[in-house]
Amino acid sequence: MLGAVTDVRSDALLPARAQRSVHRGGLGAPTPPSVLDVLEPLLPEVRKPAQYVGGEHNMVTRDWAAADVRWLLCYPDTYEVGQPNQGIQILYEILNGRATTLAERSYAPWLDLEERMRERGIPTFSLEHHLPLWAFDVFAVTLPHELGHTNLLNLLDLGGVPHRSALRDEADPIVLVGGHAAFNPEPLAPFIDAAVMGDGEEVVLEIDDVVRAAKRDGLTRAELLRALADVEGVYVPALYEPRYTDDGRLSRTVPVATGLPTLVPKRTVQDLEEWPYPQRQIVPMTETVHERFSVEIFRGCTRGCRFCQAGMITRPVRERRPETVQRLVEQGVADTGFEEVGLLSLSSADHSAIGPIARALGDTYEGTVTSLSLPSTRVDAFNVTLSNELTRNGRRSGLTFAPEAGSERMRAVINKMVSEEDLLRTAQVAYSQGWRHIKLYFMVGLPTETDEDVAAIAELGIAVYRIARTHGKANKVTLSVGGFVPKPHTPFQWAAQDTPEELQRKLALIRQLIRTHDGIKLRTNDPEEGVIEGLLARGDRRVAAAVERAWQLGARFDGWHEVPTLDLWRRAMDETGVELAWYSQRERDEDEVLPWDHLDSGLEKGWLWEDWQDARTAVQLDDCRWSPCYDCGVCPGLDLVHDTGYQPGALLPVMPSAPAGLGGPAAGSLPTSAERYAAGSTRGVTR
Amino acid sequence: MSVRYRVRWSKEGRTRFVSARDQSSIWERAIRRADLPIAYSEGFTPHARVSFPDALPVGVASTGEYAELTFAAPIRADDDLARLSATLPEGMDILTYTEVPAGAPKLASLLRATLWELVWPPVDTTALTTLLGRRCATMLAATSHEVVRHRHDGDRTLDVRPAVVSLAVATGPTPDGAGARTTLRAVLRNDAPTIRPADLLVALCDGEVASPALVRRVAQGVPTADGLVEALGGELEMVRTDVVVEAA
Repeated sequence: MLGAVTDVRSDALLPARAQRSVHRGGLGAPTPPSVLDVLEPLLPEVRKPAQYVGGEHNMVTRDWAAADVRWLLCYPDTYEVGQPNQGIQILYEILNGRATTLAERSYAPWLDLEERMRERGIPTFSLEHHLPLWAFDVFAVTLPHELGHTNLLNLLDLGGVPHRSALRDEADPIVLVGGHAAFNPEPLAPFIDAAVMGDGEEVVLEIDDVVRAAKRDGLTRAELLRALADVEGVYVPALYEPRYTDDGRLSRTVPVATGLPTLVPKRTVQDLEEWPYPQRQIVPMTETVHERFSVEIFRGCTRGCRFCQAGMITRPVRERRPETVQRLVEQGVADTGFEEVGLLSLSSADHSAIGPIARALGDTYEGTVTSLSLPSTRVDAFNVTLSNELTRNGRRSGLTFAPEAGSERMRAVINKMVSEEDLLRTAQVAYSQGWRHIKLYFMVGLPTETDEDVAAIAELGIAVYRIARTHGKANKVTLSVGGFVPKPHTPFQWAAQDTPEELQRKLALIRQLIRTHDGIKLRTNDPEEGVIEGLLARGDRRVAAAVERAWQLGARFDGWHEVPTLDLWRRAMDETGVELAWYSQRERDEDEVLPWDHLDSGLEKGWLWEDWQDARTAVQLDDCRWSPCYDCGVCPGLDLVHDTGYQPGALLPVMPSAPAGLGGPAAGSLPTSAERYAAGSTRGVTR
Repeated sequence: MSVRYRVRWSKEGRTRFVSARDQSSIWERAIRRADLPIAYSEGFTPHARVSFPDALPVGVASTGEYAELTFAAPIRADDDLARLSATLPEGMDILTYTEVPAGAPKLASLLRATLWELVWPPVDTTALTTLLGRRCATMLAATSHEVVRHRHDGDRTLDVRPAVVSLAVATGPTPDGAGARTTLRAVLRNDAPTIRPADLLVALCDGEVASPALVRRVAQGVPTADGLVEALGGELEMVRTDVVVEAA
């Protein structure tokens, strides 16, 4: 064929290890080869090629030679899923804010591009300059959940870096993981160099300093890892060793070098006001899962939902000031051109000044196309009031509530404090105020669950649907039901996970009960999807063999329906002797040593156990923002006043008491959460 | 009082992989960043009034993209559109603009033909230029030339010839000056059925010639005997460039 370029494989992009180190030098090191010229001809053949080109508004491009420490920040899934991640954007801005630090971004190539990259010798690359992974000093990967583990191994391998840390040397990057799944990194222990637990803002700069000093002083890889282990919040698995008893249980995970902590603490940023990031958010050139300007209005949550890992490991609550939120939103909307603003946190309606924040933003953007949204876990009329405030322009389509469980008893077990009466009243308020569609989130497979509890999900859905119909024949209810996966550092870390068959049976029960109600839609996930997540969430270091084998067998994108990998995982477990039932479907007792016991999320194990006992007897626990401290263990040692917004001398303004209005100017001010909870009740606003 | 502007813009470099679907939100966000008083459509979900006459295949470069923008208030076009151009992603630039008087003909009606440019990698250049030159001459001498377009929804037979206004093949230097490469330029009518460069290549040399390294939509406008008159600026774009080495 005339004009055909025949030598498709380029060795220049994956040079021999000896030739790599020149690019790893300090200031003035030559830039490694860009993959762009070889990549571009492939892009017209693959799905969604714009995800691979970078070039977005607010992308930061710094000269390779002008930096002496170079980071590649990675979200181990597609650009579409990973780009909106706030953690990456915060660290990107903080690291690139340093004079001689460079940070670029990388995501997982979809299967079609990976195949072509492997054919042509194109390594995992950055979006900014399309530079190869192997040339960077640090490969920092965020793990928001466990379903990116095989992608992490694949990105290393594709990037020309040995996937086992023991096989890496001074010519390879340091591989770091962070994010929620880093609170149990044991199933990844042989593959990562270090896990960083907790808030990244401060620790990332300390790591940057350690790497800079190591390069300057010519430290060996082993010396650098030892230096990293001295940074608070950094766990180096190679320096710890799990020991097992004769019956296969863990007896202890112990440091194997002197001077290492037996309990590795997480990092906590005490004042969010000092870290107003990300400000210059990336504006994607192609579709992503969340296209909006996001501001984290507080971090942490003390509602105490017993299933919720995020709420447990991010404590305590730290709020951003309302005026800072307003400033970040105004600057961000002008800078990015986004039409949607997201006010993020684990339960945004719980910010002590959410009323004034929503009102001020509502005023600023009234009559414009800019829209506001916030995720909320609350189930009360206040949530409706707030949603009204955020939708003054009249787009009242759907409202979401998360009762999480169907029966009163089950909600007491999981500590989701909302009564059926509240929920039905809330639905009544929402439909009467023009909302057309309510979505309710539930879980099945919760500890102590009976078929009665499962049936209660359907019954609650039917009760809400009856209310919906009285306000309009076309009104709808959606029940979204997922399978519960027990997570480390939660009171449910000792619980057994339901098998997929049992979850399937419970979902069928719900489906059967609602079958005569056409206006109720049931959305479920495939119960098999929780199997891999559950294994990896509570797995120990022995599970790593299954991770490696599953990846070798071809497992990637474990969270995607399009890529069914469970059969590969079952084969990998068989071949490596990892018994799923032992890891996932077994209840642990109080004395059992857990694989993450040497990693400190701040919570006392004794308190978690007590809370687990309370759960089993359906005893509820109040949020410590508006009730006395119950000694979970997080606050001592931190130099902060737990933000509650209503204590004397608190930083945040408290609004005068007023009834919850509908929004508009006539309705008066929205109450703060302190007022709503002033009586120590969590029953929401009644009028 | 609303005012309308038409712009000619480029889609080069990395932005050529942006799909037509994503292009609208890129422009809407850039317009908001530039703080321009764009008009919005009425309705439940208002959209900025920015329209694009036709979609460019993903991966194709262009200096011949067009858009029509309706503003709710007068703008200072020189400054404001320069600011918009600056805040668009690198590779997307506004090249020229004109204000649209009331009663002006539709933009699509001014874009009657397209000048396409196809550039091959510097491989087999002499043979490639010779082959393509011979095939082009044959096609221009014929009155019809049918090809089959394969699509997921079935095959379709098209006559390419009526769309072809002019063709030119040349060997020119590579950008670094070290080698030579083949370039094919073609003026194709935009009337339905639309013939794309891919259809033209099937007609000229199906299976005999590798895909070009780059395809570019150079400009659109009114076809002439040896090129086209660009729609907004009015310059004559010749199908033959001055580096032409005439094929056999």
